[in-house]
Amino acid sequence: MPEEAAALRLEGFSYRYPGREASALRDLSLEIEAGSFTVLAGTSGSGKSTLLRALCGLVPHFHGGEVSGEVEVAGMSLRDHGPGELAAVCGTVFQDPESQVVMGGVRAELSLPLEHRGESAAAVARAVEEVALALGVANLLDRRTDTLSGGELQRVAIAAALVHRPALLVLDEPTSQLDPVAGDELIWLLRRLNEEWGTAVVIAEHRLERCLPAADRVIAIEDGSVACDAPPAEFLDWAVRGGGGLATPIARLFSLAGLGPLPRSVKDARAVLRRTGLTPAGPDRRDGARQGGGETGEAIDGARPRRSLRHPRLGRGAKAPAAIETRGLWYEVENGPRILAGVDLRVEHGERVALMGRNGAGKSTLLRVVKGLAEPTRGRVERAGEGALLLQSPGDYLIHEHAIEEAGPDALAAAGLSGRERANPRDLSGGERQRLALEVVLSGGPSAAVCLDEPTRGMDRAHKDALAGRIGALADAGAAVIVATHDTEFASSFADRVVLMGQSVVIADGPPAAILAGGWHFSTEVARALDGAAGALTPEHGARLIGRELVR
Amino acid sequence: MIVPTYRERASALHAARAGATAGLCLAFGLVCALYANPAILLAVIAAAVTAGVAAGVGRELRRAALFAMPLALLVTLVNPLVYREGDTLLVRGGEILGRRVDITLEALAAGGLAGLRVAAFVIVFGLFSACVDPDALLRMFRRLSYRSALTAVLATRLVPVMARDALRMGDAARCRPEPPARLAVARAALSGALDRAVDVAAALEVRGYSVGGRPERLRRPWSRQDIRVAGGGGLVAVAALAAAVAGVGSVEAYPRVEIAFGAAEAVLCALLLAGAALPFAGRGARLGVASA
Repeated sequence: MPEEAAALRLEGFSYRYPGREASALRDLSLEIEAGSFTVLAGTSGSGKSTLLRALCGLVPHFHGGEVSGEVEVAGMSLRDHGPGELAAVCGTVFQDPESQVVMGGVRAELSLPLEHRGESAAAVARAVEEVALALGVANLLDRRTDTLSGGELQRVAIAAALVHRPALLVLDEPTSQLDPVAGDELIWLLRRLNEEWGTAVVIAEHRLERCLPAADRVIAIEDGSVACDAPPAEFLDWAVRGGGGLATPIARLFSLAGLGPLPRSVKDARAVLRRTGLTPAGPDRRDGARQGGGETGEAIDGARPRRSLRHPRLGRGAKAPAAIETRGLWYEVENGPRILAGVDLRVEHGERVALMGRNGAGKSTLLRVVKGLAEPTRGRVERAGEGALLLQSPGDYLIHEHAIEEAGPDALAAAGLSGRERANPRDLSGGERQRLALEVVLSGGPSAAVCLDEPTRGMDRAHKDALAGRIGALADAGAAVIVATHDTEFASSFADRVVLMGQSVVIADGPPAAILAGGWHFSTEVARALDGAAGALTPEHGARLIGRELVR
Repeated sequence: MIVPTYRERASALHAARAGATAGLCLAFGLVCALYANPAILLAVIAAAVTAGVAAGVGRELRRAALFAMPLALLVTLVNPLVYREGDTLLVRGGEILGRRVDITLEALAAGGLAGLRVAAFVIVFGLFSACVDPDALLRMFRRLSYRSALTAVLATRLVPVMARDALRMGDAARCRPEPPARLAVARAALSGALDRAVDVAAALEVRGYSVGGRPERLRRPWSRQDIRVAGGGGLVAVAALAAAVAGVGSVEAYPRVEIAFGAAEAVLCALLLAGAALPFAGRGARLGVASA
């Protein structure tokens, strides 16, 4: 590539999918410098993924449709070059690692792009070794791809996209299936590659708080057009002015507290707090948070008090049976690892529980055992009634040709899909499918327990807020709601209890203020900025805390 | 999982180059294609199972055998309904769609032999799937027909992915208040498989598949495992071809069942078993991966 060529240049670019009336992208004009780190922000359906697919040539060469305007990737025009040719200058990583890893072994996977280019065996071997070392997957080279965890697979996918040293790397929500630790690691790995290799990175993400500290620039897409194109600090100003839908939690915290400038990272936030004399709490306050201070007498105003968990159906003084109770629950794979090791868990009617922990900790298996999809090898599960379980892939529930056949009109209305009765469920957006699948599992009548497994993957904030509202309504109706999630911000928005799992066991169990304010990875961004002071987890609580100068 | 999938193991079949192990399996397949003699087919099944057990894939072959049994039974039962030849009438049936249905012992026996051959093919394919690295096979064929080989490898890779998808959809169906019919779930799983295939095709595109050039030949010296496994395959293939030319193992189903079995057939069966055992003979052969 010539040195002066930008990594990417779009001029008046518009695109419409085949058979659609509305354009997915409208008159986009922008230029991305070589070696920059750019974050694409936007709500679900705004056009981020379509733009990324245009950058790698899948749009329009693979998906079809109509385009106008110009796109040049490292000097190669989209008009003249298809995805195969653009692959020489643009590495691409999609959201689902399982669908983009095509070979059986990791070494073969990394070799494939170079073999397509006709590189010599020696060059292939050297490039594979180097990229494996750079991405920390050298120990995986001789593994089979179907034995890798989600995080490992995603790293391998990135290595395969980078093995031929493209000028540009585009990634579509690469952390959406990773736990907080793996997600943070991945972003910093990308930043390191961006700095050391000079690869321009364009990444679409909903969890902007994870990406902004590493970003040079943020481009917000709204309805297929560029709504904001600015450095992170200016983007945050724009996002806060626009209602905060795309603003990070600490930006909203500062905005609500009237502080400035808006920080793009926890480090920046702490620096501003120090400069203004609002230093994070000392160890004594952090300990208070860990002990559940947020719901005791130390709670700040407005923090959600822990509600009485006795359901109104049960008479005062009656000894209420739990909605779900597990005793000494073990789940061991035959000739394999143990997934659960003596889990005791009691969840009351109306309780809202966030089940958290790293990938492979046993969260999904626990939900499956609670529902009865899997039989424990030891221990007991007692259920007060029927339970509902929404597994990780909502599309798996949708098996009919029309949405109306999946659930009745009432369920469709509850999912916000009135008027879409004849739509094919596969044509619904991710959020719509999620809502419809939830109504499908709830359509059997009131459930004693409702379990949701990673329901917020790929969701924007508005959809998460709506889901939190639905969870609240279910709990208010008497169901115990257990949500397995990696999303600490979402957990803080709905849960009145957090259960944290380590490998196979429960390692912490308590109110959100105690669990999410006292940690680091399993902690909200606001709690990290305020060092867990008084158990403040959300921007609103944090702003009230700052307003009352509790940490001065 | 019905179709065995490749896993690296410390065995001679896994340590040998893919071409050698594939050649051994191909030789077994050649025997299945050349002979209908039950003794020889049983010998090739025994040889494949022996090699599989020695290679540590006995469990996978057991699953393949379970898959093969209903197929073999189906072929056995359908044959006498289609063919009326044979001298020994077992059942005199009526007319169905204007066609007289008589079941003869010979047609039943011929069906049994065909079923046995199907079972042998399935078990040999199971051995192939469990012991031959598809990535290495692709590497081997890339100079001949890269895209066809890649498509074939991807098809085998998609099988376990789709099986997992189907399992997940089955679980999701069990979570519905009223579980849907299996047919509806199967149809949805098939639609999902198409989506998967599209995703994989997109991934291939962005890895430069459409501009795939002809890569240079990989050269590597032959290891002990390569030689032994290739030798086993060669022994089986040569013995099968030579015996076929000599008319060994002939079978006539009609008008009366005549199955040749004598010294020549016994020698052929012994050679098949020897071909299966050869890769595992000698010192250190079981430590294939470590010594490769």
